[in-house]
Amino acid sequence: MSQAIQAATGNRAVRIGRKPFSLTRVIVIALLSVLFVTQLYPLLWLLIYSLKNNEEILSGRFFSLPASPQWVNFTNAIESGNYFKYLFNSLFVTSVTMIGVLLLSTLTSFAIGRFRWRYGQAVLVLFLVGMMVPMQATLLPLMIIFKNMGILNTHLSLILPYIAFQTPIAVFILSGFMKSIPHEIEESAVVDGAGIFRIFRSIILPISVPPMMTVCILTFINIWNEYILAATFISSERLKTLPFGVNSFVSQYSVNYGAIGAFLVLGALPVIIIYFLLADKITKGMVAGAVKG
Amino acid sequence: MNVLRVSKWTIAAFVLPCLLIYVGLVFVPILVSIYSGLLDWNGIGESKFIGLQNFHKLLFDDPVFWPSVRRTLMFAVFSMVEIPVALFVAILLNRFIKKPNFLVSSYFLPVILSVVIIGQLWKTIYNPAAMGGMLNQVLEAVHLDSWTRSWLTDPSVAMYALYFVALWQYLGYHTLIQFTGIQNIPADIYEAAKIDGADGLQADWYITLPMNIPIIKISIVLAFIGSLQAFDMIMVMTGGGPAHATDVISTHMYNMSFLSMKYGYGSAIAAFLVVLCLLATLIINLVFNRLEKKFT
Repeated sequence: MSQAIQAATGNRAVRIGRKPFSLTRVIVIALLSVLFVTQLYPLLWLLIYSLKNNEEILSGRFFSLPASPQWVNFTNAIESGNYFKYLFNSLFVTSVTMIGVLLLSTLTSFAIGRFRWRYGQAVLVLFLVGMMVPMQATLLPLMIIFKNMGILNTHLSLILPYIAFQTPIAVFILSGFMKSIPHEIEESAVVDGAGIFRIFRSIILPISVPPMMTVCILTFINIWNEYILAATFISSERLKTLPFGVNSFVSQYSVNYGAIGAFLVLGALPVIIIYFLLADKITKGMVAGAVKG
Repeated sequence: MNVLRVSKWTIAAFVLPCLLIYVGLVFVPILVSIYSGLLDWNGIGESKFIGLQNFHKLLFDDPVFWPSVRRTLMFAVFSMVEIPVALFVAILLNRFIKKPNFLVSSYFLPVILSVVIIGQLWKTIYNPAAMGGMLNQVLEAVHLDSWTRSWLTDPSVAMYALYFVALWQYLGYHTLIQFTGIQNIPADIYEAAKIDGADGLQADWYITLPMNIPIIKISIVLAFIGSLQAFDMIMVMTGGGPAHATDVISTHMYNMSFLSMKYGYGSAIAAFLVVLCLLATLIINLVFNRLEKKFT
């Protein structure tokens, strides 16, 4: 990958070097800058919006900065909107899902990738089919099943389907990676008398950390942002996850524009912070997920 | 060649936990859903088996259904039209910008935000000017007052307003995918082409495009399946309204099952959606297998 990037960069340098100030280049840079603005300005606008009072928002000067930043919007949003409660719920649900996905999918991928058995490929295909199934088609039956199990309106009713819907891509990525590990590695371990589980834990798992990171990133982005299941299965205020909580807050306080803006900013903040720290890993992970999906 | 010969019980111990959760929570619900499509049931009381009546009503006697299918397909078409744009942007980034990674990750930012944030943000942007909506305020500022409208409650434009948000959010995704694909094309191919006199656009047409076909396929599958499943953004922004003007298959299903309490009927729509998704994947794969054979 890095070699490819270097190669591409070298290739580009040749072309740029030839015509340093061409008109095409100016036009291209202008075009890409416009795109930069259209992709990011709405987010910046939201930030400015969230610091205005209602009067400034309604005045029609969309471009102007607030006279004095209304931090009170943020304190309002946090106090009346249970922000930290939602944040904690999201953290809890997402981390339990991540652990569950990693645990279950590494075990299965190990079996698919490393064991000699007849149905390995069939199981993999079964998981592949699941990637094409739209999650919302299971909303209704899941709701009835969970109601009968008595776990509707608990975090478990979110975590279970989240795990189920994240495992296909996880198994696909991990089993593909594990298959590619040379077999000599475990041959020597077998000779040394290591058991299956020990091979899994001390040899295969440590090697598989990079694809496991990819799985973590994909799971995090998908589950952290999930809205519909949460909005359908959860009804208690104290159990809402962040996207659901943000949405119900926004629908409730429909005239306090500044506070709505503030809550949206707060809702976006965790992901944006993580993205600033890990942008490279996240984009790579998302591409890996897309390419393998 | 796998060296690990293990007993059935070991395999079961490794595979079953995951497989059971997965089959139980993905496949069983889908089968239940297909079966419920044959019932007249409100989800609580007695259910009555009515055969294919729900499907018959859905296909021939539901004024909302076919328009919502058409919107779903339009959604897919718009998302696929976006892919050449993304490819073009990726080519430009790759050729003219020295450090393209910053731009690529900036374009990508909207992708990782929750649909709730994106949906509510754009709802605010689309608001009437008197409620602080940016788009209408911009239009007023440039004296295009006649263009201002309440974008999400005007049935004639609401759906386009939604398409636009989806395109806006996912442009960065497709750009990133195409960009990565282009970076993996070996540079010496371009050099060889240059010696033969093919440069710039010509090189893109004869090298970048065919070499990137597998990557374009990935984008198309993602865009197509994503559009068929388009759901939560519409639920957040309009819920299918005004007067079904923004209903797609999924929102129609949701409204039928959860608001009108027609579980059987909603399940029939869900079954239709599942079949459509599987078919679409199959067809796209077939088409691209042919394309790839032709170009490699």
